[in-house]
Amino acid sequence: MTLCTLSVDDMHCSACAGKIQRTLSGINSIKTAHINLVRRQVFIEHDEALAPLDILSAVESAGFSPALSGNTEHDAEHRQLLKRLGIAGLGMMQVMMVAIALYAGDFSHMEPVYKDLLNFVSLLFATPVVCYSAVPFFTSAIGSIRSRGLNMDVPIALAIAIAFSTSLLATVSGTGDVYYDSVVMFTFLLLGARYINAGLQHRFDVSSKLLSALPANAWRLDSTGQHAVAVEDLRAGDRIWVAEGERIPVDGRSEDPQVVIDEAVLSGESDWVEKRIEDRLYAGTLNLGKGFAMSVTARFDQSRIADIARLADQAEIQQASISQLTDRIARVFIPAVLVLAAITGILWQFVDPTRALSATLTVLVVSCPCALSLATPAALTAAMTRLRQLGIVLTNSHALETINTVDKVYLDKTGTLTAATPSITATQTFSTEFDEPACLALAAQLERYSNHAYAKAFHSTNISPRHRSRFFGVTVKTGEGVSGILSNGIEVRIGTAAFTGAKKITGDRGIYLAFGSDIIARFDITNSIRPDASAAVTSLKTFGITPIILSGDSRERCKETAANLGIAFLARHTPEAKLEAIRADQSKGSHVLMLGDGINDVPVLAGADVSAAVMEASDLVKSKADILLLSRKLTSLADLFRIARATRTVTIQNLAWATAYNLTAIPLAALGLMPPWLAALGMATSSTLVMLNASRLLSAQPTQKV
Amino acid sequence: MEILAILIPISIVFIAIAAAIFVWAVNHKQFEQLDKHGFDIFEEDSGEEP
Repeated sequence: MTLCTLSVDDMHCSACAGKIQRTLSGINSIKTAHINLVRRQVFIEHDEALAPLDILSAVESAGFSPALSGNTEHDAEHRQLLKRLGIAGLGMMQVMMVAIALYAGDFSHMEPVYKDLLNFVSLLFATPVVCYSAVPFFTSAIGSIRSRGLNMDVPIALAIAIAFSTSLLATVSGTGDVYYDSVVMFTFLLLGARYINAGLQHRFDVSSKLLSALPANAWRLDSTGQHAVAVEDLRAGDRIWVAEGERIPVDGRSEDPQVVIDEAVLSGESDWVEKRIEDRLYAGTLNLGKGFAMSVTARFDQSRIADIARLADQAEIQQASISQLTDRIARVFIPAVLVLAAITGILWQFVDPTRALSATLTVLVVSCPCALSLATPAALTAAMTRLRQLGIVLTNSHALETINTVDKVYLDKTGTLTAATPSITATQTFSTEFDEPACLALAAQLERYSNHAYAKAFHSTNISPRHRSRFFGVTVKTGEGVSGILSNGIEVRIGTAAFTGAKKITGDRGIYLAFGSDIIARFDITNSIRPDASAAVTSLKTFGITPIILSGDSRERCKETAANLGIAFLARHTPEAKLEAIRADQSKGSHVLMLGDGINDVPVLAGADVSAAVMEASDLVKSKADILLLSRKLTSLADLFRIARATRTVTIQNLAWATAYNLTAIPLAALGLMPPWLAALGMATSSTLVMLNASRLLSAQPTQKV
Repeated sequence: MEILAILIPISIVFIAIAAAIFVWAVNHKQFEQLDKHGFDIFEEDSGEEP
């Protein structure tokens, strides 16, 4: 049995769905067909012997136009634009050919009857170009006028309409000049630019690519075997089968002792990850090994990848406000263009009436601020896409701009600079009543309540049934410890020496366990510095940024890490003190980026100019960070700074080029020094150049591992 | 110059045919995934003789 997903764009109602269902159920090799009307998709489970093409032709014969699933909406738009462009191209070729004959005829005194005939032929070929190919310009222009704003398409639509109607009048009346060549050229070149830009823009699209990694269907396991279901129907607790080479459809836990996964879609890292029983598996990641069974822990729309897509969408909504800004620019710019075109037309009436219309058309076409309006959004979207590929998600598109002002980076130590899961390296017991396993069991059960990175060291402890105990009234003090009361009323505390009441020894970094008023155990916990931390710190320094460790941890621990990395440190800071340190820097004029683990540091992150969080597993949405580093690599922080700087460069280049273009082209056009074809070509290239410049950001290389 | 009366209609017919072929090709997705066949070697063989 294999699965195939069809997209049927013209399946609108349940009657259509019923018809398709009947058609498919008539085919023997098809086991089940599940129809999703909202997504307009059909999920089919069929024998290997049946080729997907046969299913396609069966649905086609029922009167629909199915396609093997893909990005259908974009494709349909793309095809529509390509058709318009092709028709404009064919029309343009013919009109140009006739135009050459007409120009030649002007010199060799062509008989008026042939001139009229050739004008009619041009009209014939130009009409489909205007009435079919140029429709997007007209609809967009009319739409903008209706909503009482003027957009970029207004001058273009106006130029095409004026040129075409003047030519039409001249052709019918037999007197006056025709401008068919300008009409078809405007349409063809501007549509061409739009076609290229749409293609580039599609490459920039951040979130659609993310979710397209999710398969549409899955194999659910039950007592009778495996059955194909749509991912929407999977619930927590279901067991599913992930076949070799397939993507995991939902978040869950492995039931297989050895699973090999490619998590690049989430983390941007190409290294394979091995998972064991009970390890977390994420939707969208790729199964590189053999098939395995897993249990579902969350619905498909609550998966980690869906969270990331939502956060990325948030940034795109802000992105939309940037394009609203450019629309606002257009609202001021476009009326000015129209006035300028009118003035040009009127002045040329006095100088040389025969050139008035062509000068006016040229001004209308050449002065469109398309390039100007694309300059910033194109660079931003391209940068966000590239960052996404490197495992960096922006939840706030303004952050990319702010990053360039940052001169100080505060790094949280535990879980950020050092490995997330520390380990217990030594255990000392002080009581005869409790042996080592008993102490570890007590500690582990209490530390379950804590989110602190050190608590994780205890999470892997095996607790034997006779050491099981229950705690009541558990309180967690961030950075200090956890306390809880046993059923016999005795309070158990675990944490720093001060918190548990142990004798303070200078330089002591142990975690103490207190049973009532007695200290019963001491644990040594270490976590190693991440292997790429020093590479990240070095590259930060090359950007002229001062990295500083800002930690709630003890002086000694911080000093050790800081000395290893060769940077300054601020130790023993509570979240409030951290926030104050940042405020103090900001009042001195510094701009601060705070990198934390996103959970304990929420207020601190909120206080920084830019906040970034390293994400190991859950709690993605809880953190209010502007930037999420999804890969386990710290060097992605350096990538972030590099791409932010590159984005600024590209934006400035784009803005400079667009402004220079408009400032030189408009006077030239108004003075009649620019032929209409050059205006259309200039217009088309200026915006395409901006897009191409922005797409350079897509190939920014990540920092190499040292 | 009377030949124009024949040549122009012929050119119109040719262009109409060209446009029709182009529109047919776009509608039947002939221009999508132009690099797709380069990846065909990575696909498993269907087992059928060509």
